[in-house]
Amino acid sequence: MMELVGSILILAGAAFHFSAGLGMLRMPDAYTRMQAGTKATTLGNTLLLAGLAFYHPGWSLKLLIIAYFVLMTNPVSSHALARAAYSIGIPMFGDSGIDALRDRDRKLRSET
Amino acid sequence: MISNIVLTTGLLLILIGLWGVLTHRNILRVIIGFSLFGTGTHIVIVAIGYVTNGTAPILDRTLPMSEAISRVVDPIPSALVVTAIVIGMAVTAVMLAYTIRLYDSKKTLSIDALMESKW
Amino acid sequence: MIRSLFTILAIVLLGAVFATIAIGYSEQQSLRPLAESYVQLVPRDLGAANVVTGILLTYRAFDTLGEVAVLFMVAASAGLILGAGHRRPEERGEDVQEAARPSSEIVQTGSQILAPLISIFAAYIIMNGHLSAGGGFQGGAVIASCVLLILLTYPEHQINVAFLSIAESLAGALFVLTGIIGLIAAGGFLDNHILPLGQFGAFFSAGAIPILSVLLGVKVGCELSVILDRFRPQP
Repeated sequence: MMELVGSILILAGAAFHFSAGLGMLRMPDAYTRMQAGTKATTLGNTLLLAGLAFYHPGWSLKLLIIAYFVLMTNPVSSHALARAAYSIGIPMFGDSGIDALRDRDRKLRSET
Repeated sequence: MISNIVLTTGLLLILIGLWGVLTHRNILRVIIGFSLFGTGTHIVIVAIGYVTNGTAPILDRTLPMSEAISRVVDPIPSALVVTAIVIGMAVTAVMLAYTIRLYDSKKTLSIDALMESKW
Repeated sequence: MIRSLFTILAIVLLGAVFATIAIGYSEQQSLRPLAESYVQLVPRDLGAANVVTGILLTYRAFDTLGEVAVLFMVAASAGLILGAGHRRPEERGEDVQEAARPSSEIVQTGSQILAPLISIFAAYIIMNGHLSAGGGFQGGAVIASCVLLILLTYPEHQINVAFLSIAESLAGALFVLTGIIGLIAAGGFLDNHILPLGQFGAFFSAGAIPILSVLLGVKVGCELSVILDRFRPQP
């Protein structure tokens, strides 16, 4: 019974990983690709570790620490990459003119 | 069965890496191709050392010394691959250093700009 | 056109060779004689629970020394190619920022939480080389990743390259010195019987293998950090 639940969770995690890979191939722009890669793989990792915890209940604490580590590092690194891409001027696909970072920088520069 | 799958994956990675090295015009993609090539080779070496129903060659209370021989995979390819991974990374570092200098002098990342020694 | 034809031909022929390898491969059913003797010798003779580390640091220790030499050569060549101070701003082109852009608050907070965790993890991996999966090289690479995190978060901070170079050379020299002591006091070069073997599976066991792991970890970590520092744009 526990193994069935664990297997379903691991399968769901693998499906999210697959969607991450598909998203990285099909997304039109660097920023959307980064978004697809980070969000889907973080969720896939967490589901995989949860499914593994059902298989081996004795490992729960270690798996929790690993999940915490993944949640700390993935979003921070993707944030740093996206800011670096923005600052060297990679264009956004389908630019609707809304750019919160540019507005914020402009406001900061006009205040100082 | 397991090592057949892993062996096939490693050989496929070698082919993909080699195709990437031969086809692309951008230096960075060629370097990524080299890295894939190296990773494929490491996977092939580790896959050859697998013994059916074996486990990792680390002895603790679930794997006492007396039954170690019958239940353990080959440790020698793992030891070789530990060395090989570090050296592969070091070679990638040298390749990237060369890329930086080439970009400084040619202002482009395409290998079509480096045709001076071609006849 | 002819080039892509040759590329496809090369890949197809190589694929055919690989296919014959993959089809004709049958899994090993039992260990080969050399592997069997290693799996028997390492726990009894060396007192190490991790067979791979025992092989890497005693029976094949000369290969490890050669790899240490290769890493040193790579660090020297990266320093030569990227030559400190040679990359003047006028030859770098128009895409140069005026000053290093400071990192955002998320990255700074994240690295303040992560850098101690990564360092503890690296020390754990190095010290556990002889008991469980781990070892000198693996821990050294994790130390270098911690240094990389700090370099990315505080781009104006100059790390002390002189200290790292001295630490790396000292660790390498002590490694060879331990080997020579093994030549004098025990069975051969880099033998681990110079220190008592201790109880199997304890933290301080397996003779000189923990000391060699620590020296390797320090050397590899400092070396990779020096290589990473050379890649930064010079002010």
